[in-house]
Amino acid sequence: MRKQMVTAVIAAVLITSLGAEENKAEIQKGIKMPYMAFPMKQGKGMYSTKGKCNMCHSWGYVLNQGPQSKAFWRKKVIKMIDVFQAPIKNEDIDEVVEYLYKNYGNGKEN
Amino acid sequence: MLRRDFFKQAALIAGSAAVGSTTVDADTTTHPVDNRKVADIAFPQKRPLITYSDRPPLLETPREVFANPITPNDLFFVRWHMPMIPTYINPHYFSIKIDGEVEKPVKITVDSLKDDFEPVEITSVLQCGGNSRSAFHPTPGGIQWGPGAMGCAKWKGARLKDVLAKAGLKKGAAWIKFHGLEKPVYTKTDGFVRALELDKLHDKIIIAYEMNGEALPYLNGFPVRLILPGFYSDSWVKMLSNITVTGTKPKLHFMDHAYRVPDNECECETPDNLAAKTKPIEEMNVNSLIGYPTSGIQVKQGAKLIVRGVAFDGGHGIAKVEISTDGGTSWQKATLDDGTQGSYAYRSFRHTLMPKQAGTLSIMARATNTKGETQPFAEEVKWNRGGYKYNGIDEVTVEVIS
Ligand code: HEC
Repeated sequence: MRKQMVTAVIAAVLITSLGAEENKAEIQKGIKMPYMAFPMKQGKGMYSTKGKCNMCHSWGYVLNQGPQSKAFWRKKVIKMIDVFQAPIKNEDIDEVVEYLYKNYGNGKEN
Repeated sequence: MLRRDFFKQAALIAGSAAVGSTTVDADTTTHPVDNRKVADIAFPQKRPLITYSDRPPLLETPREVFANPITPNDLFFVRWHMPMIPTYINPHYFSIKIDGEVEKPVKITVDSLKDDFEPVEITSVLQCGGNSRSAFHPTPGGIQWGPGAMGCAKWKGARLKDVLAKAGLKKGAAWIKFHGLEKPVYTKTDGFVRALELDKLHDKIIIAYEMNGEALPYLNGFPVRLILPGFYSDSWVKMLSNITVTGTKPKLHFMDHAYRVPDNECECETPDNLAAKTKPIEEMNVNSLIGYPTSGIQVKQGAKLIVRGVAFDGGHGIAKVEISTDGGTSWQKATLDDGTQGSYAYRSFRHTLMPKQAGTLSIMARATNTKGETQPFAEEVKWNRGGYKYNGIDEVTVEVIS
């Protein structure tokens, strides 16, 4: 599976501009989506957070937010649970928030 | 005063938004994060773009592309909400199902869309409601886009009105619900479904099967997507597979909670005092972007520098674009293109400068539409919790060398 993705990545990089013919070929065969690594910072709670936060979307979503306060990350985790039904148990919220704040925090509580 | 050394703060990699709440006061607006670099991986049918996520794909178009009024398909931004997106669709099998409050539920294939309906062509801007969201502080919910979550293409398709007529609307019909093939991973998450009030249906809303003379790229919604000229792209449903007509307003997460702004005069609020009533973002406000030069490049003193960019609004049309090189104190009119692409398209502008002094040169662009609506300075744009509708005056800063 992973190998297939890597091949797709290489193929995609070689294409710099698409002409009508290539476009047609893509339509007939479909596309292969590349895999992109959005590495997580090592630290306490990483594995647990990985399982919980990478289920519905890439870690890129988190990186894109930039450094944020603890309150921001807490609200974001709660939004995932309340709005998108993320299956995260109440007792696991704090560990995820701590990990996010410790590694992607801006030093502010609020 | 209004100038800001913003690009020093700009992130060089797409992954991180350097302008975080640590560097900027709460409840202020700046320029959005600029100068993020494109990724080294290209997505299918795309050149490398600024990449925030691969699952679902979130790709932003770099600034220099906006030196031209048509955005090529392989440089066009990409925004999906759900990670499960088909990577193969047989266009001869694919169909759009139309049901609900209709006389006769029908399935319309892409071939039928092309053969049985009058083709309509329209050049229109497609812009995410959260384009430039990274300008707002504190950080609003959503993807922290720079200014390139937009593009302009020539779309060809069939009128939604004509397609609906094939099924025949019942008397009680009031809302049209749209659903594409993207799906959440977790079945309990609400799917991305949008709805349009029947009153807002007009002749320019089409179901497009062509983009700039070719089939749509998969990542822009192959084989068909909805085109709503003048409106932000939240309802431009991609891989449009289902249209359901309803008698009452459907309850939908992505209608009721996302893509809304405060329902007040300034469409603004503060983090401590959120507006009680909100409304859908819908019509785009007046906006412009400089495509050339980009920030950080060097230009020669005394040599011609042709500033180029695009301006647009929700369809009233652009009346003028002005350029300032003194931080917004004085303005000179730029030259606009002939406008033949219509009022929903990018209006390209150009303006020749002759930098006289070596050092840093700020270039600002400000568009005004035919209703007299104009862009505020970046700092004057008011905050809203979703970070929608940013339209601050654009600014790039170049180095003039002697
Ligand atoms: C059940 C699925 C699901 C899980 C699990 C999940 N998310 Fe999300 N998340 C979503 C959806 C859906 C969106 C909105 C997608 C979009 O609009 O592109 C989203 C958006 C986001 C955003 C963008 C900002 C915003 O306000 O929308 C961030 C940041 C984010 N998630 C972080 C997290 C973190 C941190 C975790 C782990 C605690 C997590 N997510 C777990 C479904 C999930």
